[in-house]
Amino acid sequence: MALSLNHMIPVSVKNGYDINCEGKPLSEVLALVPPTHVALLPERIPYIKPRLLVKTGGRVKTGTPLVEDKRNPDIQFMSPGSGIIESIDFGPRRVIKKIVVKCDNEESRERFDSHSEQDIQNIPAKRLVRAIMKGGLWALMRQLPFRDIADPEHVPPAIFVRLENSEPFHPEPDMYLDGRADLFQYGMNVLHRLADRVFVYAGSHSHADSKTFQENVTHCVKGKYPADDPGVFLYHIKKGSDENQSWYINGQDVLLVAALLKNGTYPVERMVTVAGSMASRGLHLKTRMGVPVSHLVPGSSETDKSRYIAGGLLHGYAVDPDSYLGFYETSITVIPKGNEKEFFGFARPGINKPSYSKTFLSVFNNRPLIMDSNMHGEERACINCGTCTTVCPVEILPQFTIKAILADELEDALAHGVLDCVECGLCSYVCPSKIEICDILKTFRQNYYKETCESHTIII
Amino acid sequence: MKAIRSLFDTFRKHFEEDGRLKKLRPLFDATESFFFIPGDVPRVSPHVRDSIDLKRFMSVVIIAILPTLLWGIYNTGYHSLLASGRDTTLVNALTRGMYVVIPIVFVSYAVGFFWEVVFATIRKHPISEGFLVTGLLFPLTLPPTVPLWQVAMGVSFGVVIGKEIFGGTGRNFLNPALTGRAFLFFAYPARMSGDAVWIASGATAAPTVDAVSGATPLACTTATNPAQTIETALTEAGYTFARLFEGQYPGSIGGTSTLLCLIGAIVLIVTGVASYRIIAGGVIGVLVTGFLLNMVSTGSSSAWFSLNPFYHLVMGGFAFGITYMATDPVSAPGTTHSKWIYGFFIGALTVLIRVVNPAYPEGIMMAILFMNLFAPLLDTIEIRLRLSKRIPNV
Ligand code: SF4
Ligand code: SF4
Repeated sequence: MALSLNHMIPVSVKNGYDINCEGKPLSEVLALVPPTHVALLPERIPYIKPRLLVKTGGRVKTGTPLVEDKRNPDIQFMSPGSGIIESIDFGPRRVIKKIVVKCDNEESRERFDSHSEQDIQNIPAKRLVRAIMKGGLWALMRQLPFRDIADPEHVPPAIFVRLENSEPFHPEPDMYLDGRADLFQYGMNVLHRLADRVFVYAGSHSHADSKTFQENVTHCVKGKYPADDPGVFLYHIKKGSDENQSWYINGQDVLLVAALLKNGTYPVERMVTVAGSMASRGLHLKTRMGVPVSHLVPGSSETDKSRYIAGGLLHGYAVDPDSYLGFYETSITVIPKGNEKEFFGFARPGINKPSYSKTFLSVFNNRPLIMDSNMHGEERACINCGTCTTVCPVEILPQFTIKAILADELEDALAHGVLDCVECGLCSYVCPSKIEICDILKTFRQNYYKETCESHTIII
Repeated sequence: MKAIRSLFDTFRKHFEEDGRLKKLRPLFDATESFFFIPGDVPRVSPHVRDSIDLKRFMSVVIIAILPTLLWGIYNTGYHSLLASGRDTTLVNALTRGMYVVIPIVFVSYAVGFFWEVVFATIRKHPISEGFLVTGLLFPLTLPPTVPLWQVAMGVSFGVVIGKEIFGGTGRNFLNPALTGRAFLFFAYPARMSGDAVWIASGATAAPTVDAVSGATPLACTTATNPAQTIETALTEAGYTFARLFEGQYPGSIGGTSTLLCLIGAIVLIVTGVASYRIIAGGVIGVLVTGFLLNMVSTGSSSAWFSLNPFYHLVMGGFAFGITYMATDPVSAPGTTHSKWIYGFFIGALTVLIRVVNPAYPEGIMMAILFMNLFAPLLDTIEIRLRLSKRIPNV
């Protein structure tokens, strides 16, 4: 562990759990050939109300706006490739599912303003914000606690840069920062213009020893998953409730913002991990935004036997192999679907059954275990076992909080700290009664946000 | 396995929406899921889930109870044979014991399960595995002399009044097995209070009380002559500390052996299924209260005051109650400090009830039920305190 500089402030997180899942990606990078199609998935961008700016058959360049957010039309989402709009898929209630671009080989790019190091230091912060918005990357900056796109009119109490993600399986900072230290430094300079306090934190898993890394890191987070989640970080460092609306951005996204401002073109490079026991190869892949899942995981024919999860084992959502990678996602995990019934499943010794509990022989087994996507049991009433409480990183008492929510006691639920919940999914994972705790909390938060806060956040 | 699978597949249609037996759907589901963990995949994230489910959880409890059941069978048989002057070899004792105990357990399960199915069908909720534990714990708290119709009454009361009228497992605040036990205690005090002889008769299948020797230790303490200490009274009756700990004496079917309860407690604690806080709190509660009473005891107070506190741990049903009943998560508090307090008071109350009111020697039962009532309050207080320390996020 090379992170030992003493200027880093240690932050220790007591609760959490590291899932030991088979299929960790190798620390090796493979550069993929360009895909034939790329897509934008507006459906997967939380909270936005997208308005389409293009039509099927239209010609776009890399960086041409495809949709804007009706709530603030200056927030736009760009085409991750140049070519022709091949299709626009709608879901129920006209939700825009995906906008697919068939790539030409020209890679023509929209031009934006480019900024020298000097410009970054001199132009007003407002103009930097504008430039990022114009370049279509503002949405990478998110605001706690709801994780909506940051309110550009607002000066945040702090900006957190999250370098790594201990959830299985995300790109390691050493991989995506490799050789891009200068760009990262440039990005950090931009962030320092946007807020007085910029905290960069690394987890204890990190072994990056590049100089940039060490100079910028302010905090070192110790603890199990999800200790390195920005919400968990905030919960453990905050001194007052005025810090609740801090912003955060992922380390890899700092590179994108930096590239946009520096070069004046829409950057699309992404480091993506493909992992999981059903993936044909577990690797770090150098590819681009909006790639087809099948491009990342070739030969994925046994689709009814596998589950594809975009964005991490616990936070992520299930995708079809013929879908694409979303704007925020940098990870695809493929695990067995596990949609088979298991004979006398509850009575087996379970040397290979992953569990947080100590009721299987797997307590004696430290090897990574194959995890599938079965529920492993049926939903029952809460038995008040308190397991969910022991894992919750932000010290909520989930079993009591969901009772408050289900009884419609809004004030109580808020006092319980629902808004601190980081949706890490551990409570739902460990619950022996298979209660969708995380989902209940998530739905509550979203509804609460829609009803109360949305009107006075980012509308300009 | 294939055969069983296809059996379920063939019969499922009768239990579906338009099938003739659709009302019995919960029964079908419960039976099927006993054999097969369903192939369901999560609807929402997270897309991986722990291997544990309620069946596994409850199986661990059952495993932890089994030693006391086996011991109960042996012990019941042994004393029954002893009383009728017959040969008490291991095999004989086990056979005899099974003859007495198995029908009691069977009736408890059958009647309890009947109510579970009735309520599950009416309410259209799945049958909860919690009953597997209740149905086994309940008979173990009974004397082997209990008539089977009383077993049926008790378990019905426990399941219906103790659990189902509150909405079923998870919503009950009393421990159902103990509720049933308390019902029998108050409804049929003569047979349950422990004054009578608790040795299963050898003669008939429906056990009647035999007029032979062998009162339970707790009963013999109530008969203590005031000049004697309880320790001597017990020792004179043949109940040394070691014998009480090991459990070879007449008593409730499963509750006599502190040793086996200790083993059960270790299984429950190591697997994390039961809270060590409650158990440890209970033991501390007993010892602290016992010592305090020793300190205030004078020559004129009852012999109970000066009883060595460690005897409280091994006498009567304390060990069984604190291990298997007090740790029932549903009726215990869910917050950490409250668990200590809850356990402590169960221990303390057990001793107080025994000492102050020797007419109810089984203080543990009342202590647990009483603290069950306070569990929600303890939780509320602890949650309030915890929440007041949070930095609000609104
Ligand atoms: S409540 Fe559940 S999802 Fe939310 S932070 Fe706690 S453990 Fe994670
Ligand atoms: S883990 Fe599930 S069953 Fe246990 S207390 Fe939490 S919600 Fe209830």
